[in-house]
Amino acid sequence: MDSILRIENVSKTYTGHKALDDVSMEIPRGSIYGLLGPNGAGKTTLIRVVNHMTLPDCGKVWFQDHEITADDIYQIGYMPEERGLYKKMKVGEQAVFFARMRGMSKFNATRKLHQWFDRLGLSEWWDKKVEDLSKGMAQKVQFITTVVHEPKLLIFDEPFSGFDPINANLLKEEILGLRDRGATVIFSTHNMESVEEICDDITLINKSHNILSGPVDEIRRKAGGNTFQVIFSGDKEKFVSSVEGKATLIGESEGLIGGYTQQKIHIAQDSDIRPVIGALNDNVNLRSFQEIIPSMNDIFIRAVNGTL
Amino acid sequence: MSKTGLIIEREFAERVRKKSFIISTLLTPLFMIAMMVLPGILMMKGGSSTKSVVVIDNSPLQFVGTRLTSGKTVEFKLLGPDATLNDARMAYKSDYGILVIGSDILDNPQNLQLVLNEASSMSVEENIQSQIQSILRTERLKRYDLENMDQILADANVRVSGIQTLKNNDQEDSENMEETSTTTSWLMGLILGMLLYFILIVYGQQVLQSVIDEKQTRVLDVMVTSCTPFELMMGKILGIALVAALQIVIWAVLVIGASAFVMPLIAGADGMEAMTAAAQAASSTSEFSGLMLRFSDVSYLASLFLELLLYIVGGFLFYASMYAAIGSSVDTPQDAAQFNGIIMMPVIVAIMVMMSVMNDPNSDLVFWCSIIPFTSPIVMMARIPFGIPTWEIVVSLILLYISFILMTWVAARIFRVGVFMHGKKPTWKDLGSWIKMK
Repeated sequence: MDSILRIENVSKTYTGHKALDDVSMEIPRGSIYGLLGPNGAGKTTLIRVVNHMTLPDCGKVWFQDHEITADDIYQIGYMPEERGLYKKMKVGEQAVFFARMRGMSKFNATRKLHQWFDRLGLSEWWDKKVEDLSKGMAQKVQFITTVVHEPKLLIFDEPFSGFDPINANLLKEEILGLRDRGATVIFSTHNMESVEEICDDITLINKSHNILSGPVDEIRRKAGGNTFQVIFSGDKEKFVSSVEGKATLIGESEGLIGGYTQQKIHIAQDSDIRPVIGALNDNVNLRSFQEIIPSMNDIFIRAVNGTL
Repeated sequence: MSKTGLIIEREFAERVRKKSFIISTLLTPLFMIAMMVLPGILMMKGGSSTKSVVVIDNSPLQFVGTRLTSGKTVEFKLLGPDATLNDARMAYKSDYGILVIGSDILDNPQNLQLVLNEASSMSVEENIQSQIQSILRTERLKRYDLENMDQILADANVRVSGIQTLKNNDQEDSENMEETSTTTSWLMGLILGMLLYFILIVYGQQVLQSVIDEKQTRVLDVMVTSCTPFELMMGKILGIALVAALQIVIWAVLVIGASAFVMPLIAGADGMEAMTAAAQAASSTSEFSGLMLRFSDVSYLASLFLELLLYIVGGFLFYASMYAAIGSSVDTPQDAAQFNGIIMMPVIVAIMVMMSVMNDPNSDLVFWCSIIPFTSPIVMMARIPFGIPTWEIVVSLILLYISFILMTWVAARIFRVGVFMHGKKPTWKDLGSWIKMK
């Protein structure tokens, strides 16, 4: 796999508690990578290890083809969970300052920043002080200062917290746009909806361990475990007899409006679903046959509780 | 531009544009001018501080009372020979006090009483005592009935009011010896030491605040992934140092400008006369004229200025880096208070040592205190005007600047670790291990 970042067996202990225990993961270039986990699982510590803010007790972090150095860090765009801007400074000036800290020229930074401000509807705030901004606007400014120097790797810690749905969507579009233009994005979150919508791959960290890693589609399909939802009309007895031996029923059947019945069934992992569909089609009026793919939310909760 | 440069620029711009900067820059010189003008105005009004003392003199022919001379501090009112204390107590309630001189004062000089209507004043007592002492001394001498008594007395009345001190050098010609004045030197050192103390308190706190702000606004997460903590610390310290420099230069220009052009306008011609008189009175003491004399030597002044500048800058930077270290290890200004006193300790020790420089500018204590960076900026400033070997200045300056860099490095170490220890007050042991931490 062509990976931009590889984390190898990283452990980190703070006085008294282990924040990360032998965590490994590989982030594919050009993907949007979700770092999930309950509060206090070690996500932020992991991000800080990647960012060189905290050194791991053991383990290594590789950036592209070499062990990560301080100079690489300066090329990463990082938006911390606790956002911070200098309150007394003017918005535009501050954005230019951060862009220059990341190595952009003053001229270039000003030009690019004006484009971004226009895009996110902040132009008229350029000369205002940061303390006059609303929280959402300050978040947007923070987002812009994180991405303006076009880093290859972006790390967002809880990017959607504090945004209303409209602006969260706007931000989502921008993140997807950044990925399409070649950036790799890592973001830590416990907002599972956003994970389903935009993440290509995830790692789930719980109690300082990496408990689940992989592409989102694959994880959901696996967690689903060949469970299907069938909607039909006709004799329930016939339904039961026709799937007998090929599948097992899960739970009770439910009646639906219009005389339809809904029933969940489980089909063994390796068996074919066509005989099941064939038998059902012969005996009842089949309306719908659909694989149940659990939401990331379910998977998250089940994984954390150890019932996946 | 380097990252340190960018941070310097930001810190500088943010502070200089603040309203509080503009206000304090304009108000402080006004305050300073007021401090200069007020004593002059008070002196013009004069009188009010002169105490009037009623004198009941029971001595033969009232020989004491008649010779008491009124002056700026005390004005004497001699009553007739039959006045009694009880009458006077009723009659002169509004006067400062009543002096009762015993009839046997010549043989029993203790027989003196001062009955006060107001709080006692040391200067009045001293004035009366010294006058009476000299009157009695003269009178007792007269009892020996020598020839030319008056001339002898006049001749014996001598006062030594200054000593010319010269700096011994290698040149054979003793004419070329430089004049030095202990008091002048000391006074200059004292003023400059105080100046540094003031700068430390005002701007050192700003460095502390600035580092704490960095944590409270949570900008630090972004900053430490943009630059090294050392660059951040250095940028902050130098940025604020520049603000201090700018403010002091503005003050100097304003004060000099104001005293040259504005003060005559405010005070008017009469005021100027009074002030000139006051200045002349002050400069009659040899110390003051010595100071003025030395300041008129331009090359001496230039080299002195350069050395003092190096110490003020170095001293500020070193102490600022200590403030930065404190700011790095705490979360709130309240937490910083416990460390704050520790920083001020060496400054206070330095000022105490500086006071003792006058007695012996080359004692071991003074020597070491002027080499060790914690005290050197203040103590050495007081020593320099005495003329000390160049190597001592060089060594102490090098040590001072190296210490500044080291302390900034330490501050950066503490910052890097302290940043991620939110909410926990560090102990001294913690600080030690943070510095050692990789």
